[in-house]
Amino acid sequence: MARLIRTEKEVEGRYEEVWTVVEEDALEQWPAGPLDVVGRPAARQDGLQRARGEARFTADVRLPGMLHAAVLRSPHAGATVRSLDLAPALALPGVHAAISFEDADFLEREPGYPGASVAAVCADTPEQAQAAVEAIQVDWDVHAPLLDPDEAVARGQLISEGQDYVRGDVERALAQADAVVEAEYRTQSVLHSSMETHQAVCAWEGETLVVHISTQYIWGVRDEIAEKLGLDRDNVRVICEYMGGGFGSKNGAGEYTLAAAELARRTGRPVRCALSRREESLDSGNRNATIQRLRGGARSDGTIIALSGEYVNAVGWDGWVAGTNGPMQMLYSVENVATSLRGAKLNSGPMKAFRAPGFVEGTFGLECLLDELAAKLGVDPLELRKRNHADLDVLDGRPFSSKSLMECYRRAEPHWERRHEVRARSDETWKHGVGLASQIWYGGGGPPSYAWVRVGSDARATVVTAMQDIGTGSRTAMAQIAAEELGLPLDRVKVELGDSARGPFASISAGSSTIPSMGPAVRSAAGDARRQIVELAAQRWQKEERTLSLKGGQIVCSDGGSWPLESLLGLLEDAQILGTGARGPNPTGMRVLTFGVQVAEVAVDIETGEVRVDKIVAIHDVGRIVNPLGAKSQVEGGIVQAIGHTLSEHRLLDPTTGLVLTQTLDAYKLPTIADVPEIVCEFIDEPDSHLTNLGSKGLGEPPIIPTAAAIANAIRDATGANIRSLPIDRAEMLRALAEAAAQRKEKVGAPST
Amino acid sequence: MELLRPESSAEAVALLGNGARALAGGTDLVPLLRDGLVTADALVELGRAVPAGIDGTRIGAGTTLAELEASTEIPDALREACRLAASPQLRAMGTIGGNLLQATRCWYWRLAVPCYLHGGDRCHARDGQHREHAIFGNERCASAHPSDPAAALLALGATVRTDRRELPVADLYRLPTDDARDVTALEPGELLLELDVPRPDASAYLKAMDRQRWSFALVGVAAARVGGETRLALAGVAPVPWLLADPAELDRATPLPGTAYKVEIARALVRRALARTA
Repeated sequence: MARLIRTEKEVEGRYEEVWTVVEEDALEQWPAGPLDVVGRPAARQDGLQRARGEARFTADVRLPGMLHAAVLRSPHAGATVRSLDLAPALALPGVHAAISFEDADFLEREPGYPGASVAAVCADTPEQAQAAVEAIQVDWDVHAPLLDPDEAVARGQLISEGQDYVRGDVERALAQADAVVEAEYRTQSVLHSSMETHQAVCAWEGETLVVHISTQYIWGVRDEIAEKLGLDRDNVRVICEYMGGGFGSKNGAGEYTLAAAELARRTGRPVRCALSRREESLDSGNRNATIQRLRGGARSDGTIIALSGEYVNAVGWDGWVAGTNGPMQMLYSVENVATSLRGAKLNSGPMKAFRAPGFVEGTFGLECLLDELAAKLGVDPLELRKRNHADLDVLDGRPFSSKSLMECYRRAEPHWERRHEVRARSDETWKHGVGLASQIWYGGGGPPSYAWVRVGSDARATVVTAMQDIGTGSRTAMAQIAAEELGLPLDRVKVELGDSARGPFASISAGSSTIPSMGPAVRSAAGDARRQIVELAAQRWQKEERTLSLKGGQIVCSDGGSWPLESLLGLLEDAQILGTGARGPNPTGMRVLTFGVQVAEVAVDIETGEVRVDKIVAIHDVGRIVNPLGAKSQVEGGIVQAIGHTLSEHRLLDPTTGLVLTQTLDAYKLPTIADVPEIVCEFIDEPDSHLTNLGSKGLGEPPIIPTAAAIANAIRDATGANIRSLPIDRAEMLRALAEAAAQRKEKVGAPST
Repeated sequence: MELLRPESSAEAVALLGNGARALAGGTDLVPLLRDGLVTADALVELGRAVPAGIDGTRIGAGTTLAELEASTEIPDALREACRLAASPQLRAMGTIGGNLLQATRCWYWRLAVPCYLHGGDRCHARDGQHREHAIFGNERCASAHPSDPAAALLALGATVRTDRRELPVADLYRLPTDDARDVTALEPGELLLELDVPRPDASAYLKAMDRQRWSFALVGVAAARVGGETRLALAGVAPVPWLLADPAELDRATPLPGTAYKVEIARALVRRALARTA
């Protein structure tokens, strides 16, 4: 039965209260552990298409008569257009149309960051469009940009109202603490660097606008375009068959899509607008930089009694204030906690969600602070974390739907124990060490999401749902879930997705929500089809329904009889069994979160500041694992991205003009394969018994969260140096080493009393 | 744009100038053309016009870095410098001649900011972001020379032969001046043909990068010993490859606030390079 409920909806750590329709989640969870298909490693179903270049990404879409758009972007961090003349652009060969802020309100007269969209042109070729953009005459009134986050906060230039949180009395607790650590941590701005740049092809088919777009949320794009262009939502059809990475930066439509749609409307031709790699560094979002001024106090037995954090997010011109304060509030059972969080509005490119926004940054600060506290107390860092484990949700005392963080710690022990042997490898120049950090994040997904399953007379099933596979292997995981429920071999199930006109509503692929939101809906649809098949089988062979089940492509009766599924479904000829399913509600009164721990082994060349990550052990608790192979890929990808964030990636701005200096891949340093350490990946793999018919949480974000702190803590273990800012480049490493050396000297030189 | 394919160096030299630029591996020139930092009406493709390959101490300017990194005949410093440069794909295309003449990676220069090197009145990196920039010779322009092999060749005392003269690698470069805003001393249309690389008794090249591979040198140190005398040269520390007369010269470096760490790295790598070649 459908129910209308008022529920908390969470995406990327942002909660809102919404009305939603949910269906009962009638299916019992499967038993824990590997089943016939679910829980067993499965290669990507679309691997061959990808390898052969047959998979059609948005970047491959070329429609007949298609024009190419280019965008005039502000060269200034802050400016007002005094006058703008499109005529010289329109006069150039091949140019079909041009629009500016006078024609469309998604274009800016007063751009607030370098790269903001001001005007757009379409032409027969990309080169003609680019030449036309360069021909647009603009008279700029340039303003001095505001780039310093602390200054913005002091001036009250905030993205939204500040967030202050208090429990207990931090100052009193700090005064009573046996050890207090106070430190300022900084994290840099990094770019998503998706292989496929942001792009869309828009074409009008009668009254319908067809949008091919590289996106994490076809339904969100549909709604956004309908709203901004004044269209009926069902007159916008959004298609994303294959997608070359998003990491949170492709949750919306973006000005490039709106410009392509508007230019397509004006010209009556399909229009493609694709960002270049350089435009990607300016206007496709970023993980914002942060400043974290933290204090922590603990008793000598290792009980943390107070934590406080003043957090400033350098949000940029637009965006939202991600929960950098979240880990401090939620990770440990600490009585006295106070955080403040401010989002600075600056003349720099808007942030967008980036794989665990806020928590990646906040975990770096908190988990480094914890190790500094452990060092001061002389308490083992793993022991310190166990001692302050939160058995209940510390925000409001709710129980967790499931939590196996203690088990993660237990499994981390043998890796943690290696630190003695690892440290012993150190010589005069290369120092070795081991560090760890905990992970907390959301990832429970939620309703609504729907799926259909059709089973044909050949006993093959197709899952139909308008979700998207953003490259994480969702197609394969959904096929596994349907195959398990239908008792079919995996190669007899395929998945049709990525088209808002050809399937029911499905969840955004963000916030680690694809598996926990979509998986239960797919299982529910397959369960509906299974129920119908069993009903028919009972009639065909005069058996009781309760004696029948589906397994290995057979209808199996508990009395020993079995029949190939085709022998029943073959009767259907072209008719089909149609199952529908919906995602049920999340458990009420419970907190659904993901947990984990990572252990890093590093080596530091103390003369040159070189940091080498030798090994990362990742142990995560995300409920049932659907595809161990896909899950391992997620962890590896998250850790590689984390290593870039930790060691080498940095979007640099000129401090005077705000110009983005790292626009190319030689200047913006992503890790290469040579930087990737040995990665060991373990899962608790226990279904969350309270969460849906599947018991699975999401894994997209957890693996990137604790890596930076684990590496920084391993560096402290190796060298005694306190890392305070990311990236840990040579300059930061040598600074921290020099500081540690100076402190040692001070200690040695101090008069004994 | 026209592509010209001369059969000889003389033919190539005759075609150069007047908006025609020499094209070897193209790994630097093509991006520069695309970004509008270099303009050309015609490209003179050097494949048949410039010698390639290793013959005793002589190395054709058209020899790729990939060939050099695999050669057992050339000094260790040059081989290592080639191996640690760029990526396998780039080394398979890029030639040693082109590598010596590549443009700086200074982000201000690459983004066409009207800086000193572009003919403007000041260096934007000095007051701006300069973590990758120079610690020597950086008064007017703080760009860092990106070539690893150039430092190795400088330490090795190599000479280059052009279509009109022979000169030491050291004389191939000069700091930019008010009158000449570039870092090489070649005349317009002058074509680099061959290198002569003397064999040292021992040599080495060490490189500090932001990641393990495919990154320009934060500091590269080449050392070459002939008898009791060791010559040191550095990459990534000055607008030109930098000959270090003496390790103590590092005490007289003029780092910017954001490049002081490079002095420390250089000290360590110089010490190690000297130990390795002793």
